[in-house]
Amino acid sequence: MFNKQDERYWNIHLLNKWFAITSLLFIISMIWMFIDDNDDDFKVYQKTFRKMEVETTKRKLEKAILEVKDEQSIYLANLENAESTLESKTEQIKQIESKLTDLGSRKYKANMDYLHKKAEIDALKYLVEKEKSHIHELPKEKDSKYELKYNTYLEELHSLKQKKENIESLYSDTKIELEQMKADVKQAKTELSNVMRDVDLVEAKLNKLDRKKMSFSNRIGDIIRDLPIIDFMDPYYKVKQIVVPDVKYDVNFASVSTVDRCTSCHLGIDNPDYLDAEQPYKTHPNLALYLTSASAHPLEEFGCTGCHAGRSRGTTFYSAVHMPNSAESKYDWEEEYDWEKMHHWLKPMLPTKYTESSCFKCHMDKPDISGGDKLNLGLAIIDKAGCNGCHQIESYPKRYNTGPDLSRISEKVSKEWAKKWIHNPQSFRYNTWMPHFFNQENNNSHEMTQRNTTEINAIVEFLFKSDKQINRLSGKKYIGDADNGGNLFNSLGCRGCHNVLEDASELTTLNIDLDKLPYEYSVSEYGYEKSETNLLELTKQQGPNLIGMGSKTSAEWIYKWIRNPQEFWPDTRMPNMRLTHQEAKDITSYLLSFTNKDFEEEKFPDLNIDELENIARGWLVKAFPEEKAELMLSEMNLTEKLDYVADKSIRYYGCFSCHNIQGYESAKPIGTALTSEGSKPVAKLDFGHIHDIEHLNYSWFEQKLAKPRIFDRHKIVAPEDKLRMPNFYLKPNEIEAVVTAILSFNDDKVGEKKMARYYQEDQSVYEGYKLLNQYNCKGCHVIDSFGGQIADLIGAPEFSPPNLNTEGEKVKPSWLFKFLKEPTLIRPNLQVRMPSFSLTDDEWNSVIAAFQDLDHNDLVFESDHHVDKKSVKYKAGEKLQELGVCSNCHFYGTTFPKQGAETWAPNLALSKERLRPEWLVKWLNDPQAVMPGTKMPAPYIPSQEELEMEDSKSIWGNSLITLRGDRKAMLEGLRDYNYSIPGKIDISREIKKYFDEHGYDFGGDEDEDDWDDEDW
Amino acid sequence: MDALKHAIDLLSAPTISFTLITVLFPFVFPPGDWFEKIHRKLGFWRIWTKPGLYISLVLITLFFIMGYYDPNFNITLTKPDNFPIILLVYSVVICTWLSMYKAYENDKRMDRGEKPAEYNDPDDKVLVWPDLVYIEFIALIIFMVFLIVWSVLVAAPLEEPANPAATPNPSKAPWYFLGLQEMLVYYDPWLAGVIFPGLIIVGLMAIPYITTSSDNLSGFYSFKERRVGIFLFMYGFLILWIFLIFIGTFFRGPNWNFFGPFEYWDPHKLVPLTNVNLSEYFWVKWIKTGLPSNILLRESIGFISVIIYLGVLPVLLAKYVLNDFLKKVGPVKFSFFVFFGLSMLSLPLKMYLRWMFNLKYIIAIPEWFFNI
Repeated sequence: MFNKQDERYWNIHLLNKWFAITSLLFIISMIWMFIDDNDDDFKVYQKTFRKMEVETTKRKLEKAILEVKDEQSIYLANLENAESTLESKTEQIKQIESKLTDLGSRKYKANMDYLHKKAEIDALKYLVEKEKSHIHELPKEKDSKYELKYNTYLEELHSLKQKKENIESLYSDTKIELEQMKADVKQAKTELSNVMRDVDLVEAKLNKLDRKKMSFSNRIGDIIRDLPIIDFMDPYYKVKQIVVPDVKYDVNFASVSTVDRCTSCHLGIDNPDYLDAEQPYKTHPNLALYLTSASAHPLEEFGCTGCHAGRSRGTTFYSAVHMPNSAESKYDWEEEYDWEKMHHWLKPMLPTKYTESSCFKCHMDKPDISGGDKLNLGLAIIDKAGCNGCHQIESYPKRYNTGPDLSRISEKVSKEWAKKWIHNPQSFRYNTWMPHFFNQENNNSHEMTQRNTTEINAIVEFLFKSDKQINRLSGKKYIGDADNGGNLFNSLGCRGCHNVLEDASELTTLNIDLDKLPYEYSVSEYGYEKSETNLLELTKQQGPNLIGMGSKTSAEWIYKWIRNPQEFWPDTRMPNMRLTHQEAKDITSYLLSFTNKDFEEEKFPDLNIDELENIARGWLVKAFPEEKAELMLSEMNLTEKLDYVADKSIRYYGCFSCHNIQGYESAKPIGTALTSEGSKPVAKLDFGHIHDIEHLNYSWFEQKLAKPRIFDRHKIVAPEDKLRMPNFYLKPNEIEAVVTAILSFNDDKVGEKKMARYYQEDQSVYEGYKLLNQYNCKGCHVIDSFGGQIADLIGAPEFSPPNLNTEGEKVKPSWLFKFLKEPTLIRPNLQVRMPSFSLTDDEWNSVIAAFQDLDHNDLVFESDHHVDKKSVKYKAGEKLQELGVCSNCHFYGTTFPKQGAETWAPNLALSKERLRPEWLVKWLNDPQAVMPGTKMPAPYIPSQEELEMEDSKSIWGNSLITLRGDRKAMLEGLRDYNYSIPGKIDISREIKKYFDEHGYDFGGDEDEDDWDDEDW
Repeated sequence: MDALKHAIDLLSAPTISFTLITVLFPFVFPPGDWFEKIHRKLGFWRIWTKPGLYISLVLITLFFIMGYYDPNFNITLTKPDNFPIILLVYSVVICTWLSMYKAYENDKRMDRGEKPAEYNDPDDKVLVWPDLVYIEFIALIIFMVFLIVWSVLVAAPLEEPANPAATPNPSKAPWYFLGLQEMLVYYDPWLAGVIFPGLIIVGLMAIPYITTSSDNLSGFYSFKERRVGIFLFMYGFLILWIFLIFIGTFFRGPNWNFFGPFEYWDPHKLVPLTNVNLSEYFWVKWIKTGLPSNILLRESIGFISVIIYLGVLPVLLAKYVLNDFLKKVGPVKFSFFVFFGLSMLSLPLKMYLRWMFNLKYIIAIPEWFFNI
C-alpha cells in the first residue's frame, strides 16, 4: 500500500513492530478482562456445589435403589413373564398389526373424503342461504340454482359419513384387540415404574447434573452454554436472584424493590440435604419457619435481605457486606476472605446475633413473637427499664409509668431514705430497676458529687412538700403474725410478681467472661452481672424484690398499700388481692421483718447552701443575661432556690419519665427519639474520643448501654450539658437483647401484605396481648405455653393457678368478662388467689379477644346450649357420672365432694355458666391433651363390646346400651348432665367456712397412687 | 521518621507551603535577570537536567511510599478516586521537566550561536499520513490497554446512594474541579466558579500572544526567549491549578479543614472562622461607628478598593513599573495583560488577606448575592 518512493521520516518497520507489540498487549488485556469477568466468586461456588450435588444425588440414588430393590425384582420378574407370554403370540400379533396398518390408511382416506365433501357442502349451503334471502328479487317460478345440487350432495355426504364411521369402529376394535393382547406387559411396566418413581426422579436429576452421565451432544451443549458471551442465553452458572417487591430499599430519592442474589452462593440454603455442609452451601438452620414453601416465610416472597439486611445485589463475600458476629470471626474472615467492611452501604448485614431485630418490622404489633426470644426480651426490658419514657419510640411507645407515683411519697418513706435511694439505689436493693444517675464516670469527681448531693437534697425537699409525713411509730395496730404473713405471702400469689431474695448469690449465674466483651463494661458494686435474665425471670421481677422493707417504710403504709394499692397510685399495675384485715396485718409484719442495717446507718450529706446557689446560678445564666441572672438569684429566698434547683434537676434527669410527679404530667421526653435509631447513619452517633470500639451503630449502642456516660470521656463539658442517661447496670445478655430491639426501630419499608397485622382481623387482640404482659398474667398462669413460674414455688401444679391453655375456646366470653371484673372462686382448694385488676371494659374485652385469638375462636356471642333431659344421651350421661363418681372430687352446688380437700375440684353447678359446650366434650374426651398434667382423669367410656356383654344391662343400664358405644354421644350426654346439675354457683362462703375450721393442712406431696388413672 | 512526618505536616499547611512555593517560584522559573542570577547561584537550573529529573522522581516516589506506610496518609492515598492525582503529579513533573530540559538545551545552543535543535532534526519531522496517524493509532491502543488493565485491577469506586440528609464529610468535587473548590474557600461561587475559571483559561491561552518573543521566532523550545510568559503561565497552571488540586485531594479533610498528609482526619477538629468583612473593619474597627444602613455607602470602601485595584493600579503600573513593557507591546496588549495578570493575582492576594487579616469579603452585599 505504501509507496516505497515516498518521503519518510519514520522507520515504518519500527512502527510496525510497535503496532505488533501493542496489539498483542491489547489482546492479552482483552483476554484478561474476559477471564476477570468470568471467574466471579459465585461461579466458583456453583461449580463446587454442582460437584456436591452430584455426590448427594448419587448417594440418594443408591439409597433409593436399595430401598426398592426387593420390590423391583418382583415386578421385573412379572414383566419378564408377561413379555415371554406375549412372544408366544408373535404371529398373531403381526397379523393384527398389518391389518391395523391397512385399516389405518383406509380410515384416513374415508375421513378425507368425508371432510372434502363437507367443505363443498358448506360452501353450497352459503350460496343457498344467500339465494333464499334474496328470493323476492328473483322471478317466482324459477327454480333455485343451488338447492338441488345441495340436496344431492347431502345424500352423498351421508353415505360417506357412514362409510367413515364403519371403518373407524372396525379400526378401534382391532386396536383394542391388540391392546388387550399386550395389556399384561403394559400393566407390568406401569407397576414397575410406580415402584421406580423415586429412583427415576433422582436419576433424571442426576442426568442433568452429572456431565459424565450426559450424551455426547448434551455434554457439548453443557460446556457451550457457559462460554463467555454465549452465556447470555441460558447458562448453568449464573446469578440467581429473587425479586421481592414488598421489601423496599430506600435510595433516598426513590425506594426500590429488593433484588436478592444471596442464593447465587448460598446454594443449599433451602435444601435440607446440606445441614452439615460448610458455608456458603449450608442449609438454613430453621427451615420450619423460613424459606420453604410450606413455612410462614417462603424464600420467593420474603427473600433474604428483608431479614438479614446487607447488600442484596452483592455477589461476593465483600460486596454483600457480611458482618462478623464477634472479634474472632472478624479475624477469621480477614484471613480467609480479605474481609473489610464496605463503608458505602447504609444497611450492612446484621450479624447473626442481631438478626432477630428484623422480625419487628412486620410483627411490631404483637408482643412475644415466637422464635424471637432475644427481641422479645429486649422489648420487655425497654418496657421494664422505662427506656421509652425518656426516648420516644413511635413503634413501641411507653404504656405505663414503670416507677411508682411520687405524689404521696412522703407518706411512704422518709426524706433521708429517699435521698440515699436516689443517690445509690443498689445499696438498698441490689437488683433494682431504678437506674443510677450518680457516681458515674462523668460525675464522680468531688465537685460533681457535691453538686449532685445538693440536687438530690433539692429534689427530695420538693417531693416531700406534703403535710402528711411517714409515721413509723403508730404501727402497732397494723402488726400481725409475721410467720403467718410469710405463709400467706408465699401462698396467696404475691410471688407471682415479687421476689424476696436477700442477696445476689441466690440468683442463677451464667458463665460469661466480662473481659472478652467488645465494649467497656461497668460492673456494679453488688455483683449480679452474671445472673441470667430471660422472659420468665422477668415475670418474677414484675414488682420489686421486697427486701429491706423494714428499713424503708412504715407498717401503716404497707398495710394500706396492700389492701388497696390504687389509693396511693391510681394507675398501679399492682392488683388488689382482696386481703382481709388480718391477712394484711400478717403480711405487713412479714415484710417489715426484712431490714437493711448498712443502708440505715449511711448518712446523706446535708444541704450545702453555697452549692445550691451555684447550681441555681448556673441554670439562670444559661437562660438569662448574667446581670439579670444575678439579680434574680439575689431575689430568691432559700425555698425558692430549692424549688428552682429541684425543678431544673427533675427536668434535667427526667424523673417524670418513669414517675408521676405533680406538675410534670405534660413534660416532654428528655432523650433522643429512638423511632428510627436503627437506621441512623453511624456518622450521626457521637463516638467522642472513644476509639476502642468498632465504628458501627450496634457497637455504639452496646457501649452506650454498658457505660452510658463513656462518650463524655476526655471532653470538657459544663455540668448542665453532661450526658445524663443513667446506668441500669444491664447484664451483657440484656445489652444484646436491648440492642436487638433498638436495631429493630428503623425506617425499613415493608409492603402492607407483609405486615403480620394484615392477616389479623381484630386488631384489639394486640392490645390484649400487651395487657397480658403488662399485668404479668404469665407470672402465675401458663399462657400460650409460657409462664406460670409461681408453680415452682407452690410445688404442685394442681394447687397453682390454672394453666390457661385453650382458655379462649374453653370459657364463655360473657362469663370470663364477669369473672375478670370480679373474680369468684372456681377451684375450691386453691390457696392462691386470682387478684382483682382494675381494667376498663375495653381492656378486658381485648384480653378476652387475645385468649380467643390464641385458640382461633373469635365468637363473642353464642347461642345457649339447651339440654333435653328426656333424651337417651342425657340419661346415659347421668349413668356415666354416677359410675365415674364425679362427686368424689367435684362440688355439686353446695354438696361437698366425698373425698378430702386435697382432691377437690370445681363446682359442677358452675359449668353451664362458665364452659363452652364444644370444649367440655373435648375436655371430657381427654383431659391430658387439653391440659397436660391435670389431675382430672378421663371418665370411663364403655366400648361397644363391653356394652354387648351379657350382664351389660345391669352394669351400664339401658340408655348407654342404646347408644351402642357411640363415644361422642356418650360424652355429649355426660356434658348435658353436667350442664343440668343444679345448685349454688358461688360457694366461696361455704368453702371459706370449711377452711376456717379445718385449715389448709395439706401440701403438694399427697400419695401419688391415689391418683393413678388405672386405680380410678 | 515521626519528626520528619511532623515537619512535613507543618510545612504543608497552605499558609506556609503556598508562601514557600510562591517565593521560590521566580527562582525556579526566573522571569528577570536578577532572578536568573540567583537561579544560577542556587543551582535550581539543575532541576532541568537529567539527574534533576531522577532526583525529583525519586523524592516524589519516596514521599508516596512514606505515605503508603503511614496509617493516616494511606487512607487518602489508596482511595481509588485519588489514583489519577498520583498519575497527575508524575505526568506534570515529567512533562514540565521535558519541556524545560529541551528549552535549556536550545538556550545553550543559541548561546553558542547554533540553531535550535529542532531546526534540522529529522526526528522531529513527521508526516501526517502515514506516520502521525499510525503513531497516534499505536498510542490509542496503548491507552486502551492501560484503561482496561486499570479497570480490571481497581473496581469502580461507587459510593452509597446520594442522601441529601447525610452528605459525605468532606464533600469533594471531582478531582479536576478541586482547584476550583479550593478557590471557593476564598471567593463566592459566581467568581470562583464562573468568572475566574473563564479568565484563567483565556488568560493562560492569551499569554503567548501578549509576550511574544523578540524576533517572532517560533517552533522550538526556549526559555530565554519567553521568560516572563513562561513564568506567568507556569505560576497560573502549576500553582493556582495543579497545586490547588493536590491540596484539595490530599490535604482537605472533614469540614474542609486542612490536615497535613500524615495527620489523622479527626472530624472533631475545629478551626476558628472569625472572618470579618472589609466594611466591618473600616466602619466598626477603625472609625468605631455602626455599619451604615445604606448598602452602597456601607460597601463604598470595598468598591473603591476594587476600582483602585482594577482601574488605577494598571495606570500606575504603566507609568512607573512596566513602562518598558508597555512600549514594547502597545496599549491593547498591555491592558489585556494587566487585566488578566491582576485577576490571576487576586486569588493569592485574597488568600493572604484571609490568612493575615481574617478578611472575609472586600465587598459584601449578601442582600444582592454580590460578594467579592
